[in-house]
Amino acid sequence: MIHKLDPNSKIIYIFVANIAPALIGARMATASFILISIVILTIGKVLHKTAPMLEFSGLILLTVAIIQGIFHQGNTTVAFALGSVVFYKEGLMFALGIALNVINILMSFSILVLTTKPSDMVETFVHMGLSPRLGYVMSSVFQIIPQMTKTMATITDAQRSRGMETEGKLKTRIKAFFPLISPVVMNSLISTKERAIALEVRGFGSKQKKTFLNDLQKTRYDDIFRFVLILILILSIFWRVLIWLK
Amino acid sequence: MTRIEVQEMHFSYTEQEPILKGINITLDERSTAIIGQNGAGKTTFVKLLKGLLRPMQGKILFDGKDIACMTVAQIAKHIGLVFQNPNDQIFKNNILDEVMFGPINIGMDEQEAKRHSQNALAMVGLSDCEDKNPYDMGLSERKLIAIASVLAMDTDVVIFDEPTIAQDYRGIEKIKKIIRTLKAEGKMVLTITHDMDFVADCFERTIVFAKGKILLDGQTDKVFSKKEELSQAYLEPPHVTQLCNSLGYDKVFLRVEDFVSYVKSKGIENK
Amino acid sequence: MAKIVAEHLKYKYPLSEKLALYDISFTIEPGEFIGIIGENNAGKSTLCQAMVGIVPNFYKGAYGGKVLIGDMEIAKSNISDICKKVGIVFQNPFNQVTGCKLTVYEEVAFGLENMGLPRSEMIDRIDYSLKLLDIYKYKDRNPFDLSGGQMQRMAIASIIAMRPEVIILDEPTSQLDPQGSEEVFRAVQNLSREGITIIMVEHKMEKIAEYSDRVMLLHEGKLIAFETPEKIFSRDDLDCYGVTAPAYTRICKSLGIKNKKTGFYPVTLEETKSLIGFSEKERCPYDQN
Ligand SMILES: Nc1ncnc2c1ncn2[C@@H]1O[C@H](COP(=O)(O)OP(=O)(O)OP(=O)(O)O)[C@@H](O)[C@H]1O
Ligand SMILES: Nc1ncnc2c1ncn2[C@@H]1O[C@H](COP(=O)(O)OP(=O)(O)O)[C@@H](O)[C@H]1O
Ligand SMILES: [Mg+2]
Ligand SMILES: [Mg+2]
Repeated sequence: MIHKLDPNSKIIYIFVANIAPALIGARMATASFILISIVILTIGKVLHKTAPMLEFSGLILLTVAIIQGIFHQGNTTVAFALGSVVFYKEGLMFALGIALNVINILMSFSILVLTTKPSDMVETFVHMGLSPRLGYVMSSVFQIIPQMTKTMATITDAQRSRGMETEGKLKTRIKAFFPLISPVVMNSLISTKERAIALEVRGFGSKQKKTFLNDLQKTRYDDIFRFVLILILILSIFWRVLIWLK
Repeated sequence: MTRIEVQEMHFSYTEQEPILKGINITLDERSTAIIGQNGAGKTTFVKLLKGLLRPMQGKILFDGKDIACMTVAQIAKHIGLVFQNPNDQIFKNNILDEVMFGPINIGMDEQEAKRHSQNALAMVGLSDCEDKNPYDMGLSERKLIAIASVLAMDTDVVIFDEPTIAQDYRGIEKIKKIIRTLKAEGKMVLTITHDMDFVADCFERTIVFAKGKILLDGQTDKVFSKKEELSQAYLEPPHVTQLCNSLGYDKVFLRVEDFVSYVKSKGIENK
Repeated sequence: MAKIVAEHLKYKYPLSEKLALYDISFTIEPGEFIGIIGENNAGKSTLCQAMVGIVPNFYKGAYGGKVLIGDMEIAKSNISDICKKVGIVFQNPFNQVTGCKLTVYEEVAFGLENMGLPRSEMIDRIDYSLKLLDIYKYKDRNPFDLSGGQMQRMAIASIIAMRPEVIILDEPTSQLDPQGSEEVFRAVQNLSREGITIIMVEHKMEKIAEYSDRVMLLHEGKLIAFETPEKIFSRDDLDCYGVTAPAYTRICKSLGIKNKKTGFYPVTLEETKSLIGFSEKERCPYDQN
C-alpha cells in the first residue's frame, strides 16, 4: 500500500517530518516522527532493509555521543563515570538530539527510497521540473546501495566458484571482504558507461516531451496522507507562534 | 573415474514457480551436451552442481559424497564452471591475474599456477594478450578468457555454459579442440549449448531439458533421431540431419563429412 | 523510408593504433534484409555502432567519410534523434538493460516513454512485441532475473516496440534455442517485408543464407564483398576470411553440385534438397518418400 503512494506524498512527508519537530522544538516530536516512520516502513514491509544503513550510522553516532559526552562545551552535570573518564549530561543530551535528528532524516528518506520504484522516482523528479538526465542521476544515487549489493553477490560467486573461501566463520568472511572492493568499484564504473549507451539508444536524451506507462495517479490515500501532514505542519506553526507570543 | 549422481532434485528461485522438478541423472566420463529451450533450467542445473545454488529437495553426490556438506570453494577444486555471461565471471584488471586467480586459490604454488595459466591461455589462443585488461576485450575474447580461467584450474570436471556465444567458426573449432583434449585427459566435460551442429560434432551423450525436467537422455545420434520430442523441447536436429529427414533417408547423419561420403558411396553425383 | 549510404567510412577507436573500419562504402535500399558476416574482430559491431552514432558520438576517436540515413548525417546528429529512426540490439543483452526499471514490461516501455507515445499505444506495442518474442509470461519479472536467452529476447522486443525504420541486430540469436532463433528470423523478415530495413550480424550462416537479400563480408575492417548469399558463399576464399559456408553449401561443394541456372552452389535446405533429390531420383526412384 505504501508502495502505491505518489512519490510526491513521500517527499512532502520528508519535508514535514523534518520541519515540524524543528518548529515545535521538542525532542519528543522528533522521536514521534521516527516512530511514525518505523510504522510506515513496517507496513511497507521494508523495515529490515534499513538495517545496514542504521548500523553504519549508529557507529558514527556512538562516536559523536562519546566525544560530546566528554568534551561538550556546556558540560556541567556529571552523568556517570567510566573509570577516570567522566561523561556529562549536557553533552549526552546534545548528542541525543543530533542522533534523533539524523535517524529521523534517514528514516523519512528511507520511506521514499525503499518503497518507490527507481523509474517512478525519475518521473517525479522530471515532473518537478528537473531534466530527465539529472533525474536519472538523482535516482541512481539512491540506487547505489542495492546496486552494490548485487554486484558484490555476483563477484563473490565468481570468486568462490574459483576456490576462494567466502563462507563459514566470521574471520573468513571478513577476509573475503577486502578483495571485493576494487572489482566492485571497477564494475560499477564499467556498467555506468554501458548503461549510458543503453539509455541513449532508447532515446533517453530526447528533447521530446516524455509520456509515462504508469500514470502516477494520486489515490484517495494520498489525499488523506497529505491532509494529515499539512495539518501537522500548520499545528506546529501555531505552536511556534504561541510560544513567541507568550 | 569421476561420477556425479543427482537424485530427485528440486529447485525454485521463488515459491510460486518451480524451476527444476525432480531431476534424476548420473553423469559419467562420456562427454555430454545439455540442450533445451530458453529458460528450461540448464544454467540453474549446473549452478546447483557447482554449489552456487542449493537444492530444495534431493541431493547431489560427487564420487559418492554429498556436496551439501562442502563449501563452494571446496567444490571448486573438483568442478570448474565457465559462466554463461563472462561479465559475471571476470573481475581482475589483467588477463594473467584473472586466469591465475583460480589455480592459486586451490593451492597451486605461484610457478605451477603460472604454468597452468599460460597453457590455458595458449589453448584459447590469447597468449599474446597476457598483460591486457580484460575490460578492453570484446565479448568473444572475454568468453575465451573465462574459459582459460577455468581450464587453468585443472579440475576433474569442466562445465561450459554456452561456450560458443559470439565465437566465429575458428573460435568454435578452438573450443571443439579444447573439449576433445579434456576428454582425452580423462576429464568429465559437460556443455550447455544451443548449437546443434556443435553437439553433433563433439559429444557422445546428449541430455534434453524441457520445462524443468529431463525429456531425453542418450547417445547423441539416438537423441537427434527423436524428431517429435526435439520439436516439443523447441529444438531442431543438426542441419545435415534436417537435410536427411527432408530427403526422406532412412539413414540419418549428423555430420557433413559422413553425409558426403555416404552419398558418394551410393554414387550419386551431379553430372 | 530511408536509404542508408556509407561513403568512405573510416574509424579508429581512441586508444588503438589500427583502423577498426577502413574505407567502407555501400548503399542499402529501404526494406532490404542485410546480413553481415566476418570473423571475430572484423569490425562488425563497430560498423553497427557507426550506423546509430555510438561511433563516433559516444566513443569519439578518429572518424572519416560519412554515413547517411535518409538525409540525416550520423556523425552530425544526436543519438537521441537517430534512435527514432534506427534501433540497435547489442551483442551482449546484459549490457542493454536500462537498470532503472523493475519489470520486463516497464523495461520495454522505457524507449516508448522517451518517444512520448500515448499510454494506450504503448500498451499495444509492448503486448505485441512481448508476445512476438514469447516472453509475455515473464512481464512482471525483474529484468535481471531472466535466463540469458530470455534477456536476449527482451532486448529484441524493446527495440521492435519502438518501430524504427531501420533495425540493427548484432548477433541477436546467439543465446536463443533453435526454434527461438528461427522465430526471430521470421519475425524480422516480416518486418523487412513491411519496409523496415534489417541489418543483422550473425555467425549462423544457414540462417543468413536463407533470410538475407544481400550479405556483407567484412575482414580486418574492410568490406570484402557485398553480394547475394549464393555469390558470397560460393567463393573459394571464405577460409581466408575466417568464415565458413552453410552446411548445405559445404555438402554441395564436396559433391560438386551446382545450381545450373545460376552457376552458384545452393545455400539453403530447400535448394539443396531439390538438387540432390533430383539427381537421386534419376538413379533410385524408390528411395523417395
Ligand atoms: N535469479 C532468478 N530469479 C528468479 N527466476 C530466475 C532467476 N534466474 C533464472 N530464473 C528463471 O529460471 C528459469 C530457468 O533459468 P535458467 O537460467 O536455468 O535457464 P536456461 O535453461 O539456462 O536458459 P537459457 O538457454 O536462456 O540460458 C527461467 O524461467 C528464468 O527466468
Ligand atoms: N571500445 C573499443 N575500444 C578500442 N578498440 C575496440 C573497441 N571495440 C572494438 N575495438 C576493436 O575494433 C576492432 C573491431 O571490433 P568489433 O567491431 O567488435 O568486431 P566484431 O564485432 O566483428 O567482432 C577490433 O580490433 C577490436 O579490438
Ligand atoms: Mg542459461
Ligand atoms: Mg561483435
